[in-house]
Amino acid sequence: MALDYQPKIVGFLCNWCSYAGADMAGTSRLTYPPNIRIIRVPCSGRVDATLVTKCFQQGADAVLVAGCHPGECHYSEGNYHARRRFTVLRELLSFLGIEKDRLRLEWVSAAEGKKFSQLVSEFSAEIAHLGPRKDNGKAAGGSL
Amino acid sequence: MNQAIRDKAKELLASGAVSCVIGYDVGSDGINARPFFAYTEEEADGLAFDQTCTHNLVKYLIDRAGKATAIVVKPCDARALTVLINEKQVKREEVFIIGAVCHGIIESTWGQKGSDLQGRCQTCTQHTPLVYDLLVGEPMAEPTPKAPLDHRAATLANMSVAERAAFWAEQFQRCLRCNACRQVCPGCYCAECFVDQLDPEWVGIRIDLPEKWLWNTIRAFHLAGRCVGCDECQRVCPVNIPLGLLNHKLEEEVATLFDFRPGVKADVPAPLETFKKDEKLGIGE
Repeated sequence: MALDYQPKIVGFLCNWCSYAGADMAGTSRLTYPPNIRIIRVPCSGRVDATLVTKCFQQGADAVLVAGCHPGECHYSEGNYHARRRFTVLRELLSFLGIEKDRLRLEWVSAAEGKKFSQLVSEFSAEIAHLGPRKDNGKAAGGSL
Repeated sequence: MNQAIRDKAKELLASGAVSCVIGYDVGSDGINARPFFAYTEEEADGLAFDQTCTHNLVKYLIDRAGKATAIVVKPCDARALTVLINEKQVKREEVFIIGAVCHGIIESTWGQKGSDLQGRCQTCTQHTPLVYDLLVGEPMAEPTPKAPLDHRAATLANMSVAERAAFWAEQFQRCLRCNACRQVCPGCYCAECFVDQLDPEWVGIRIDLPEKWLWNTIRAFHLAGRCVGCDECQRVCPVNIPLGLLNHKLEEEVATLFDFRPGVKADVPAPLETFKKDEKLGIGE
């Protein structure tokens, strides 16, 4: 593995908690690696399995979906749906040859700037350690 | 058995209880069954059921919404029908279900009658449909579950991710994107499939591995917790992609995670349409 390998991570952050959490990390001057490309979505429940799979198709090394803690969803129950959806999707992707660790679902509240910065640092290090995708981009159509 | 189906069909058509009976008749090769729609009592004489009736007919019911219809179902078709009823695609009160006791469907090709049972039937655990208004055929003891025939499922589980990725790349590379798997699937009834959408264009127009990979992944995912395992997608695939492997993998996952088997119970939502607040799934904790 080349030392300069930098994983590309797509982050889908819920507008009401995790995106604000990322914002909090920024205003608190906490650092996190620039490997993550953040996409703001209304809710973690809005993140369709196709969006995540499409990221992998396009060559993402990993995908992070972050939303409000269970019981705190702005739309009452979106994150519960996300939880079931990504549990199943992870199993399917693993069966197809993409490690489970490359798809992560996390709960980050608007106050948890520190948690967000730690989460992205850890996740980025973990994916860097995992290295490039094992399918050698065979399924990947392009690069992000 | 044929006579029982014909008699009931005639009775239903004569009384006006239904305007159509969907079943099987003998195809033009004289051997294999084909789907058959009987609208009159005379036509009902053509109805037949034997071990070549491979098609799952329940998808035709979606187009018959609002019109009372009778349908001949095998046990696997009956499960698919329950899924459609649960998902409000078919109204139970509009359908008269003629359940056929099924001894398994045999592998056969055009003009030739085979002798071996299809793979799905060798591991099937139901001879009698779970739901019916009229049962035809002699009820018999249910078979005991057997290990899946396709040993590749177990082999794949023990492979490394790289080997699995290589295996699927090889399989999906053959895909022609003909969408036959979708057309035949009773669970694929969306008016506009994601693969056909142009804005956003989820799957590009190019016929290459990335597009084929995305299509096959999402097709399988959309059937998670809904697929009844009839393996029709695999049968119709012109390039023999083992779609059943993917479907069965998800079926097992859903059974383990949510203790759910699709098409077994009426009025139970599919696991991905619902949730439990305090469940622990090992994700996001």
